[in-house]
Amino acid sequence: MIRPTLALSRRELVRFFRQPERVIGSLAQPLLIWAFLGAGFTPSFRAPGMEQLSYAEYFYPGVLLMLMLFSGIFSTITLIEDRAQGLMQGVLASPAPRMAIVFGKVLGGIAIAMLQAAPLLIAIPFIGLSVSLGSLFWMLFGALVACLGFTAVGFLIAWNMESTSGFHAIMSIFLMPMWMLSGALFPIEHAPGWLWALMIVNPVTHALTLIRTPLYHAPGQFLADPNYWMAIMIAILWALGCLMLALWRVNRVERGAFISA
Amino acid sequence: MTDPNIATAVVIERLKYCYPGGRRQPPRMALDGLDLSIPRGAFFVLTGPNGSGKSTLFKILCGLALPSSGTISIHGCDLIASPVDGRRDMGVVFQRPALDKHLTVLENFRIHARLYDLSESLFQMRLKGALPWSDLEGRLHDRVMTLSGGLARQAELVKVLLHEPTLLLLDEPTAGLDPGGRLAFMSTLLRLQKRRGVTILMTSHIFAEAERADLVGILRHGKLLALDSPGNLSQRLGEEILVINCDQPELLAQALSNPSGLRIQIQDHELRVQGEGLLLLMENLLKEHRQKIHTLSIKQPALEDLYIHLTGRDLARDEEEESR
Repeated sequence: MIRPTLALSRRELVRFFRQPERVIGSLAQPLLIWAFLGAGFTPSFRAPGMEQLSYAEYFYPGVLLMLMLFSGIFSTITLIEDRAQGLMQGVLASPAPRMAIVFGKVLGGIAIAMLQAAPLLIAIPFIGLSVSLGSLFWMLFGALVACLGFTAVGFLIAWNMESTSGFHAIMSIFLMPMWMLSGALFPIEHAPGWLWALMIVNPVTHALTLIRTPLYHAPGQFLADPNYWMAIMIAILWALGCLMLALWRVNRVERGAFISA
Repeated sequence: MTDPNIATAVVIERLKYCYPGGRRQPPRMALDGLDLSIPRGAFFVLTGPNGSGKSTLFKILCGLALPSSGTISIHGCDLIASPVDGRRDMGVVFQRPALDKHLTVLENFRIHARLYDLSESLFQMRLKGALPWSDLEGRLHDRVMTLSGGLARQAELVKVLLHEPTLLLLDEPTAGLDPGGRLAFMSTLLRLQKRRGVTILMTSHIFAEAERADLVGILRHGKLLALDSPGNLSQRLGEEILVINCDQPELLAQALSNPSGLRIQIQDHELRVQGEGLLLLMENLLKEHRQKIHTLSIKQPALEDLYIHLTGRDLARDEEEESR
């Protein structure tokens, strides 16, 4: 179990670094979106109760979350081609447990996402925030849970999907809205009722809470807050639940229809 | 555990696979009670028209699908109940490439070794043993996408040899290769069979390949039509075949079917006739139907002819069905 998992997650990393355009794209895109949206919205962003907050600062945890979303998408989209023609055929025919495919994707995805997060983390002081090591740890923990969740959801969608264009369709109507409605772009507090309801049941909202809170509070403060623990519970439940589903899905082998008599 | 001394490598019994079908499609029986056993160390080629169930059988054998019913045992071990033991003995070469083309040859090999739980030192040792079966030396650090079609196929073979399988499954492994590459690949397989005693199960549409096998199976509608050595199969047709190439084989066939005792088959623009007195028949044909005939030839039956004979459209039976 361990050898196949490590080999498959290592493959994700090697593939990532071997495609320079992917490295540059995945690093530059969140930074660009952050810089452009941040600069553009800052003059008109006046959320009641957070008047002293610039949009660039507000949007920061959302960009980190977006990075996790894209990491999940990129690492699982390859599955589609890989199964029909590619390495995955050989994995399925080998004695290695099929679960290694899920764990390999998740581990590889997390490793890549954490590497990509580094430039963003370095940017923290430039938006005028200072974050203790303890807070940084809890922020990364939130990012990790989100990455696990997105990778598992992506896996569930990509497994058994025939074409990458189908994946893109699902991505734009399902995965992207999960991110948009997490409080990444605008605060949940003043959203209209129906939107607020959608946002509050969105597990990603709670994953974002895990990333946002440590930016402004010391670990001693927020760890005493039951709301923070609630967010941890919901986010972990979502991530582990999807991981379980993915593990169950990958273990199911196509079976011939039952024939009577 | 699998039994290393068992005499049959693969035993398939009453294997059925049914595709469920949908709202507009009726369920389709891809394998219909297939029985097949392959002796250890044999070179077995499975052939049959498209849609005969070859791919479904292959999918089940390599663990990508489970049958509706029936059993398969690999070296005495139930493949469906305990797939892991059987798979350890198996090496699978898929029709479509199963290598990551962004990785180097060596990186692909290493992943394969890890999937079979080989340590790094064991991997290096096995690699030394497997590489001479190919022309890949010196290309190990090249990315797979830079390899030629033939070399890429060799890489697939070396990859599956790393875990020293005693049963090789290959799904049309030579499809897309040029004749030289195909010949070289086949020779390698034959040598593997001779020297390592590997049992080979291969699907193929190329009869030149089937002629070199120990055992040939012809599959149609999910059942075995024939299973024998290529020599015996060719002999089954026995007599020579008169092959007539013409525009309207149906008309000509009607003209021929008056004197009975002839077996007639139509395949596209070809009329194939077997029976007594072919020479006399030829004479008559040229006398009366010269304008309709492009070419005429008498040939010795080969495996391909048996295949056409067994799977092709049988005129006599078609007519029988129509008259009902």
